[in-house]
Amino acid sequence: MRKMMAIFQKEVRIAFSTPVAYIALAIFSVVAGFFFCRLLADFQGRVLVAAQTRPLALKYLNLTDDVLAPLVLNVSVLLIFVVPLVTMGLIAAERRSRTHQLLRACPVTPFQIVIGKYLGAMTILLAMLVLTAALPLLLAAFARDKGPEWSTVATGLTGLFLAGAAFAAVGLFVSSRTKSQLVAAIVTFCILLMLWVAGWAAGDSSGLTREVLQGACATAHMRNFARGVVDLRDVVYYLSLTAFFLFLAQRSLAARAWK
Amino acid sequence: MIEVVDLVKRYGDVPAIAGIGFKVGRGEALALLGPNGAGKTTTLRILAGALSATSGKAIIAGYDVFEQPLEVKRRTGFMPEAPPLYDELSVSAFLTFIGRLKELPRGRLAAELERVLSVCGLTEVRKRRIGNLSKGYRQRIGLAQALLADPQVLILDEPTIGLDPNQIAEVRTLITKIAADHTVILSTHVLGEVLQICDRALIIHHGRIMLDDKLDQITADHGSLEDAFRQATREEPAACAR
Repeated sequence: MRKMMAIFQKEVRIAFSTPVAYIALAIFSVVAGFFFCRLLADFQGRVLVAAQTRPLALKYLNLTDDVLAPLVLNVSVLLIFVVPLVTMGLIAAERRSRTHQLLRACPVTPFQIVIGKYLGAMTILLAMLVLTAALPLLLAAFARDKGPEWSTVATGLTGLFLAGAAFAAVGLFVSSRTKSQLVAAIVTFCILLMLWVAGWAAGDSSGLTREVLQGACATAHMRNFARGVVDLRDVVYYLSLTAFFLFLAQRSLAARAWK
Repeated sequence: MIEVVDLVKRYGDVPAIAGIGFKVGRGEALALLGPNGAGKTTTLRILAGALSATSGKAIIAGYDVFEQPLEVKRRTGFMPEAPPLYDELSVSAFLTFIGRLKELPRGRLAAELERVLSVCGLTEVRKRRIGNLSKGYRQRIGLAQALLADPQVLILDEPTIGLDPNQIAEVRTLITKIAADHTVILSTHVLGEVLQICDRALIIHHGRIMLDDKLDQITADHGSLEDAFRQATREEPAACAR
């Protein structure tokens, strides 16, 4: 545990002493903020139209369903683009700079390395979610009548955390297979993109293929979370993806690629 | 303390080391010599547990390098060639990190950190960022991390490469001191360094051992270490393969 924590702390220290973490956080904040503003502007437009044309419809409009739920879905897609930036150097950079030789010469197991590094990446991810959490807080501060439903907000953030955890595990595994951070980022992005577009492909297919593609779609599993519903199938999906790719990363380090 | 039996490492069809075997006794300092690509670094990295072998056996301090790697790593300190370091960390932070990986208890870590900083002449730069330090300091940091936890066996890969003459003299003196009470195996191209630090030399060429003897004996048999090196590394790969 102490060795895992040492690796975790080293990762966080290095991540925040180089521009990578800040760039990822900046990109995330700007794009998430843009989505938020757009959704809010749309909501405002709909409220104005409803007030003038169908005042009864106003009671069906609320910040949680019309702003925050779509925001959670948009942010889950944004993670597909940002997580590769966070995970690309986790192991690839160690191999490129040969510092993996130091780790290999210490009494530390591949499992400890994988978990230590994964926790480091998750810290950056957590910082992103804290930034996301600031947006509903902003709404609550300025909402005149009914603010956001906090249980739905919490469920949405939990979903984003689980999705981010799964995406980071994919990125860590890919980073363990190459010396190039650029290759690691591109391949991670491609895998995550496939997990996203699997849902589109599901729309064009039928039967078992449709079921499988829908089941594999990472963003489809986010819909329930965005609506404030915790479905065990969605939780199992993200946790399985996380465990599977962490296992692969551990095997990758234990095998030849690390050497 | 170290026993290597028929160790082989192949990269595809190319043998980096082709069945080498030797023993190093407790407190002995062995120099691994050979031209570039002879297999010195590969041998050292395998012994340090940083690289797998294709076949063969290696025992350090009674533990099998391949079967009980963690036990071996608890008893060895490895300084890779041109030590790779985390440039973003300070010297203290880096050594603390390695100390924690080497399972130094919290209470002993601070004292051990002070010891290696002092032994390697790093006390003054302990708060400096590694990326801002000179090659000489980086070499010393590489040595300091190998010395942490006072391992029984030190494996040093070209510890003085790239240093200026003053730095070479400093690092050499340092290793000579350390070699007095540790088992040391080091690779180098500098024959003078071998004469100063080591008791014994092993010359590798094309992954095979061409000569393994005490320095006194080598000088007596070949006139000088340099002549012995020239003779041992004169043969072509085909001749070696035979």
